[in-house]
Amino acid sequence: MISTRSMVITLLVVAIVCSVVLSFVYSYTAPRIEDTQKELTLAGLREVIKANVFTAVVPDTVWEAMDSANNLVGIVFRVFPQGYGGPIPIMVGLDLEGSITGIRIASAAEGLKETPGLGVKITEPDFRGQFIGKTLENVLIRKDGGDIDAITAATISSRAVCNGIKQGIEKFASYLCPPFDKCRIFPGAQDFAKIIPEILWYALKDNDTLGIVFVGTVQGYAGQIKFIVGITDKTEITGIEILSSNETPGIGEAIRDKVFLNSFKDKIPDAITGATISSRALIDGVKSKIEEYKGYLK
Amino acid sequence: MNRLSIFTRGLIKENAVLVLMIGLCPALATSGTVRDGFGMGIAATFVLLFSNIIISMMRKIIPNEVRIPIFILIISTFVTIIDYFMQAFQPDLYRALGVFVPLIVVNCMILGRAEAYASKNSVFSSALDGLGVGLGFTLTLTVMGAIREILGNGTLLGMTIFGEGFKNAPVIFLILPPGAFLVIGVLKALLNKYYK
Repeated sequence: MISTRSMVITLLVVAIVCSVVLSFVYSYTAPRIEDTQKELTLAGLREVIKANVFTAVVPDTVWEAMDSANNLVGIVFRVFPQGYGGPIPIMVGLDLEGSITGIRIASAAEGLKETPGLGVKITEPDFRGQFIGKTLENVLIRKDGGDIDAITAATISSRAVCNGIKQGIEKFASYLCPPFDKCRIFPGAQDFAKIIPEILWYALKDNDTLGIVFVGTVQGYAGQIKFIVGITDKTEITGIEILSSNETPGIGEAIRDKVFLNSFKDKIPDAITGATISSRALIDGVKSKIEEYKGYLK
Repeated sequence: MNRLSIFTRGLIKENAVLVLMIGLCPALATSGTVRDGFGMGIAATFVLLFSNIIISMMRKIIPNEVRIPIFILIISTFVTIIDYFMQAFQPDLYRALGVFVPLIVVNCMILGRAEAYASKNSVFSSALDGLGVGLGFTLTLTVMGAIREILGNGTLLGMTIFGEGFKNAPVIFLILPPGAFLVIGVLKALLNKYYK
């Protein structure tokens, strides 16, 4: 008869040995697993938009796509609309005008659960290719008033793809820099000299530098607030606009209020009551840009 | 029993899926394509081989009362190892097999060999036994995968083998879960007819 003690000890020793072995295997494979995952994501991103560098804006959900000269060429986002058999993982590329540059739907091997032979046809180039060049207005199947031909006998899957992409564009388009008008930000300037692409320009008139136009990003209440501001060499603000933000609708989004933004031109305003965090973030962001510009002037 | 027959026994005569009717769940779920079936088979073979070897080496020191938890610890260690390696080096296969990789732990084929064979026999015989049963499992899943992929999808290893006409209207039924039951049934019937 074996004693309880020897049973416990044997079990304990086996468990310890197993844990040690596993920790070694884990430390060897973990970085490789991460690399493989990154490569797969990058390959997927390159499939939907022509770009070299991708920066994640929202981890695993939204990426900014840059070309080799570091200019923003568009964004890529991911959505998981409910299809016939389960969520459909879709990656969508958008150019700066908001038209689709390409979509990628995970294959069955990557977790697509649509019916083989029917729903899975959404992954085929004939269907996917239709989306290139479509915009928010016409990315719907024909039955729903759009320009996408649904797959015969797979209407639910086709519709799910379209609706998912449509909702994705509505949700994420704010990450695209809307084509902003630097003249509106800095009235009076005739020309803008690019210093840092998409970030910083000198406002020029008759070859004199009047001031500077900055694009800045600050952490708001629910994400990044991207703004553009014009500052004269007397550190007066000529104009300010919000390029993208993800604040609470009706509360934090009050920072987009025209009266609030225009008040910057006279003097830096106080924070908005009820939207203190968002407006404080923007005010601090503007102040730091002024300080930064003062540094340049010296 | 001579050593060759220990090895070959698991291939056909005591084939886990088609004769003993164990390990059916992964056989049904992961035999949709040749690649998935083969990958699952190799993963299970790896676990069977090494868990059989280790359990056989430890058979004299494992107390009888706690043998099952110890078997499961050893088996789950090897399953986790193969899980990590597959994730790192075969990510596509890993995603296709999904939950069935971790579920190898509870595959009765593996615990069955540990309990019925490896805990009572020498290391070498246990290794041969594990290899034989594992390769028999791999063979079955690969054959099932080939039948289902060719007829159900018109492809083999992802390459189109029939013309466009077939590709547009294959026997979809075979790719779906009921098709797996049908293929297992047909293979078992053929085995019974020609191997008895």
